[in-house]
Amino acid sequence: MMRRAQPWLGTLVEVTIADATDAPASDLAFSRAFNAIATVHQLMSFHDPESDVSRINRAAHGADIVVDAHTARVLGAALALWSQSEGVFNPLCASKLVEWDYLPAPGGPLPAWATPASALELEGCRVIKHAPAWIDLGGIAKGYAVDVAAAALAASGVRSGCVNAGGDLLAFGDHDWPVLLRDPAHPCAPGYATEVRDCALATSAIYFSRKEHKGCPRSALLHGREGRPVLRAGSVSVSAPSCMMADALTKVVAATGDVHHPALEKHGATAYIV
Amino acid sequence: MKALQWTALTVTLAASPAYAAQYLTVEQAQRLMFPEATAFKDASVQLSAEQMRQIESLSGLPARSAHWRVISAWQADKLLGHVVLDDVIGKFELISYAVALDPDARIRQVEILAYRESHGFEIRNAAWRKQFVGKTAADKLAVGDDIVNISGATLSSNHVTDGVRRIAALGQAALKK
Repeated sequence: MMRRAQPWLGTLVEVTIADATDAPASDLAFSRAFNAIATVHQLMSFHDPESDVSRINRAAHGADIVVDAHTARVLGAALALWSQSEGVFNPLCASKLVEWDYLPAPGGPLPAWATPASALELEGCRVIKHAPAWIDLGGIAKGYAVDVAAAALAASGVRSGCVNAGGDLLAFGDHDWPVLLRDPAHPCAPGYATEVRDCALATSAIYFSRKEHKGCPRSALLHGREGRPVLRAGSVSVSAPSCMMADALTKVVAATGDVHHPALEKHGATAYIV
Repeated sequence: MKALQWTALTVTLAASPAYAAQYLTVEQAQRLMFPEATAFKDASVQLSAEQMRQIESLSGLPARSAHWRVISAWQADKLLGHVVLDDVIGKFELISYAVALDPDARIRQVEILAYRESHGFEIRNAAWRKQFVGKTAADKLAVGDDIVNISGATLSSNHVTDGVRRIAALGQAALKK
């Protein structure tokens, strides 16, 4: 069992290889996995002015922006989930997160909150911006980065591995991976234990992000249709075949409190609230 | 797909080892970051007041310390770069990491060496191990071992990001050739 960690995606990303393999082969697999994470980070970071996300956010109304295939895939999934969740998952939520000081302002006037899904049109790798809007893929890109890193491990010949980006993880291969869930009431202690095998597991909760901002309670999780922060004290975990969908679906369940939300079944996902 | 079962842990959090993961030793990290090196030498630096001011102006962060643990990597008499070692303490965590810099002080790689939850994540070995009895993975579990994954809300790595920025400035101010 070998494990490495690097800081990416605003958190620590751990990559574990369970195979009994020699160091040169595992070094190469680790390096390919972290390079995959770095690529997603560079393309989808809200903070990096060169990222696809920042280019979309800076672009003027009517602009036509060509993005990387990775970005197009994540944005496509985000827009599809927006519709499947009737707006609860909202990739155009950045204006609220900027207003609440969770994200830095990307420049230009603050777009109106109630931006319709039609503000962005995605055609292949072209994004057409029909209205002022700031996107944030923070609720889905971390999971996608985990998926591509795990795929890079598998493509390097790793038979059993796990990638964990700050709690959003995907495990593959013939191995049961023990997972401890932070106790939402005491996040520095484990409250629950489980095991995962050949699936992704993502968790969202507000215990690290909850704060008072200008006298109002806020969190980094928001209800995408209503534009209000999720203030429920519990923790939402979703397991799904892909970490991208597990990650994104935690936001839908956290906002609605519905562990039977129809979007879960559509993506072969199961949710837990503790 | 098979639904996961979460098992509630009813564990007395007595004095016990905190959750910790050891990823790389300093020796492993330097070899990984400079695989072509034939020698590593201690090149720790003691910064002057002027260099500390320079770091603060380049990084926008307090220089924090005058003494820095630095290792230089060599291939025969050619300098390949430096490894700067640092620790950051967050509200919940303690992280040791290494930053590899090229001779011109550009960042080459960042590796986490060790991670520890400073306020505990205290798990009592025998008690929570029981949750996995009968499972193949149980044999491989140990507190402080590096194979348990933790899922939860994302803990930000801002302290490490700031630390890397400070080290990039340190490279410019004190190591650049």
